[in-house]
Amino acid sequence: MHKRALGAAALTGAAALVLAGCGGGSSTTSSSTSASSTTSASTETSSSSSTSAAAPAEVDTKDPSRADADLVIWADADRAPILTKYADQFAQENGITVAVQIATETRKQFGDATKVGKGPDIVVGAHDWLGELVQNGTVAPIQLDEATAAKFAPAAMTASKFNGQNYGVPFSVENIALVRNTDLAPDAPATMDDLLKAAKAAKAKDSKVSVLLDQAVGKTGNAYYTYPWLSAYGGGIFALKDNGDYDADKVIVNSAESLKGAEQLAMMGKEKVLSTNVGDDNAEGIFTGGKAPFFITGPWSIPNIKKAGINYAISSLPSLPGGDAMKPFLGVQLFYVSAKAKNAALAQEFVTNYVPTKDFQLAIFAAGGRPPALTEAYDEVAAANPDVKAWYEAGKDGKPMPNIPAMNSVWGPLGQAAADVIAGKAEPKARFDAAQKEIEKAIKASS
Amino acid sequence: MAAVPSSLEPVKLGSGYNTPWWAHAIKWGLLALVLAAGLFVVQKLVANGSWFGVVITAFILTCVLAVYSTRRAVPMKYLLPGLVLLVTLQIWPIVYTVATAFTNYGQGHVLSKEDATAQSIAQSVKEVEGSERYKLSIAVPEGSDVATGDLVFLLTGADGKMQVGTKDGLTELSADGVEKTDTGKITKAPGYTILNAKEANSRSADLEAFAVPVSTSAGIKAVGLSGAFQGAPTLTYDKAADTLTDTVSKEVYSPQNAYWATADGKRLPTGWKENVGSRNFSDLLTNPTIRAGFFKIFLWNVAFAALSVASTFLLGMLLALLFNDEKMKGKGLYRSLLILPYAIPGFVTALVWASMFNQEFGLVNSLTHLNIDWLGNAWAAKAAILIANLWLGFPYMFLVCTGALQSIPGDVKEAAKIDGANAFRTLRSIIMPLLLVAVGPLLIASFAFNFNNFSLIYLLTQGGPFATDNTSIGSTDLLITYAFRLAFSGASPNIGLASAVCIFIFFIVAAMSYSGFRRTKSLEEVN
Repeated sequence: MHKRALGAAALTGAAALVLAGCGGGSSTTSSSTSASSTTSASTETSSSSSTSAAAPAEVDTKDPSRADADLVIWADADRAPILTKYADQFAQENGITVAVQIATETRKQFGDATKVGKGPDIVVGAHDWLGELVQNGTVAPIQLDEATAAKFAPAAMTASKFNGQNYGVPFSVENIALVRNTDLAPDAPATMDDLLKAAKAAKAKDSKVSVLLDQAVGKTGNAYYTYPWLSAYGGGIFALKDNGDYDADKVIVNSAESLKGAEQLAMMGKEKVLSTNVGDDNAEGIFTGGKAPFFITGPWSIPNIKKAGINYAISSLPSLPGGDAMKPFLGVQLFYVSAKAKNAALAQEFVTNYVPTKDFQLAIFAAGGRPPALTEAYDEVAAANPDVKAWYEAGKDGKPMPNIPAMNSVWGPLGQAAADVIAGKAEPKARFDAAQKEIEKAIKASS
Repeated sequence: MAAVPSSLEPVKLGSGYNTPWWAHAIKWGLLALVLAAGLFVVQKLVANGSWFGVVITAFILTCVLAVYSTRRAVPMKYLLPGLVLLVTLQIWPIVYTVATAFTNYGQGHVLSKEDATAQSIAQSVKEVEGSERYKLSIAVPEGSDVATGDLVFLLTGADGKMQVGTKDGLTELSADGVEKTDTGKITKAPGYTILNAKEANSRSADLEAFAVPVSTSAGIKAVGLSGAFQGAPTLTYDKAADTLTDTVSKEVYSPQNAYWATADGKRLPTGWKENVGSRNFSDLLTNPTIRAGFFKIFLWNVAFAALSVASTFLLGMLLALLFNDEKMKGKGLYRSLLILPYAIPGFVTALVWASMFNQEFGLVNSLTHLNIDWLGNAWAAKAAILIANLWLGFPYMFLVCTGALQSIPGDVKEAAKIDGANAFRTLRSIIMPLLLVAVGPLLIASFAFNFNNFSLIYLLTQGGPFATDNTSIGSTDLLITYAFRLAFSGASPNIGLASAVCIFIFFIVAAMSYSGFRRTKSLEEVN
């Protein structure tokens, strides 16, 4: 499981936990909702009926079911209000009614409701759900024409494909980057050596600084944050097929390239730069408390960093000794059309003709703050917003998080391997060999 | 309770006893309410097409009417609500779990085979390479009904060429009288009624099936309401042979393990739900990883549950004894303070403890000046779990012990005093036996609860720390967290397998509880 989801789960209670666990290779959405739930709470004002004019109503957690309208869209609490506005416009132009509903555990609710014919026509979700959605037969292909597809960032279009078929229309791309406290570290480091030098200088200057590089590891590890350390040397999780898809049969966790990253992690642990005592639960608090000059995180942390009054700047992840820059995973947010949509024609019309417009993507950006996937919209936002530009630059060379179901078998073993290596419990090679074996076995067992 | 008729004062039932009119009114009012609620449920169930649910609800309603509208079946009047709840909340989930355990239900195996096949075909639709896109207006021939008439596509190509597509093929559309938008979408064409968005949408199902044939393999299909593309599914289903054939690569997929797969193992992603007999059970019994981990986890599971019950009971009982002392002042305040940990939601407490046990930043180490890796060392993590569970569980034991102590009559204690027993002797020979009679069954219930205390483990350690070569067996794993990981962290979460594990756990807990209850029976002989 993707460990960042835990925070979200804790907020929604013990029941939600089970669900987050069920979700398997959990996603950037759950984390983004967790991080921004404070800002969005005020926007969901009413649970009144879900006609086109009303504020978005929440989907019942126990018995998720669609509202009564010509077109029903499920989205998270951040995006639902802004979606409502555009959905209303779409409704007026076409003489129909549209209902936007807030789903709190979209992935699970969508699956459950669709199974019993109560699901929405359109659902907003992360691209790494795609493998599961296709396996379960709950999403329909979307035939975007080439001209429209070319308007998006290429990585975003790759992310919305599974087995060569397109299933989504993207609207935002998010990734992790290096966030620094500019009071402690004024300059963006280009290399890890620079970073450590600056961090040690900050520590010498300010006694409050106790963590040199703030990155969520935790006792059970975190594969999402581990990946950039491997990718800096050309390593990773899966090798690519000829057509650019991830190949579930070729795990490269213990490749020579990945092992270089593992050795780097071991060194960071030995030098007390990274620690398994820093995890999802306290990484953000350490940075907002001014205890760390550098923090590897994503846009979901920014609202709390701002709230804490930290002066921050975002830059690309540094390069590692003897390797290239660390490259993060990209998380892409998509509009999916349900395979069981009651109003398939309207749903397809909405996602193919409304979502790929600049105005729409700009409006969604205003609600979520993530770099838009539509190049035209991104350009406009980036010109005015340095943060967005910085996030985008940091993810420029990144690859989409694998959306193949096999990824579900990777989170646990790879995360734990990284944690053990950082904690000095095992030698990098032996430990990553064991992880490789475990992942391969799990993938084989389910095929 | 209906009074037991005694010879002295016979209770008159039947004709001699007059029920006041308002009691009748309330009775029939409540019955009507139950019926109305039942009918509402039935209506919903009918709308969902769940006929089994309708039958069950109707049966329950009939029972309610039969039992409560007459004077007969007095015992049933007491038992029925409990029975209904027992069946719906206890028996039904068990039946459902058992039924699921014999299927492969889980990720990738949700749909029926028929549905999965249809989805696989839908997913295989590919645009013909290099073909053009059209602006589309959906229409029916003039004069026919918009809801049932034959669909007609009015198409405008990229070059502005206008065509009419029907199920027979393409014909040219003459420009006379045709109106278009700036983008080229036809808004008016003589001889055709153009459907508005709502009308077109209501024919979504027809649209899905409709294609204008342009070649032997491909057709023009709609994308939404205003665009069309040339494409075709690359998979075709042969019903007689029960195979899917890829028309491009000529590969033939046949059903294997509830997936469509080729002979050399290539598999389509969407599988279906099917009966797998006892495969889940035999998998569990024969899988070497599972067998290796089971014994270790089982031992810790029993130890965890037993130690949790023992520690919480001891602390709770000692506090209860202390606060039961008559000389103690301000008992009410202390008692309410002690119940606080019980009042805070358990998952919040567990997360707070998790952060307190942090080796570097946690409160526990900084207060005690220790440097224990609470959550990273196998034994320390076990201790951490027991400590957190002690905090979570002692208020409950304190509550039940306080209640039980207060129900012990004072004269027994007085008698012991007169017989010369000291305080300890009184506790051991009088209070403890009487207390255990009352709380014994609760201790067993607490054991069963802790045996499956999923949320505590999951929130505190997630089952970890793990051995350095196996992340499927953690040193604080309970059977239930282990089963959860087993079932859900594979490449495709398998709910059928998880159900099978639950059945095993059920029998283990049942066996242990049974022997526990046998023992408490011997305690009851004290009375």
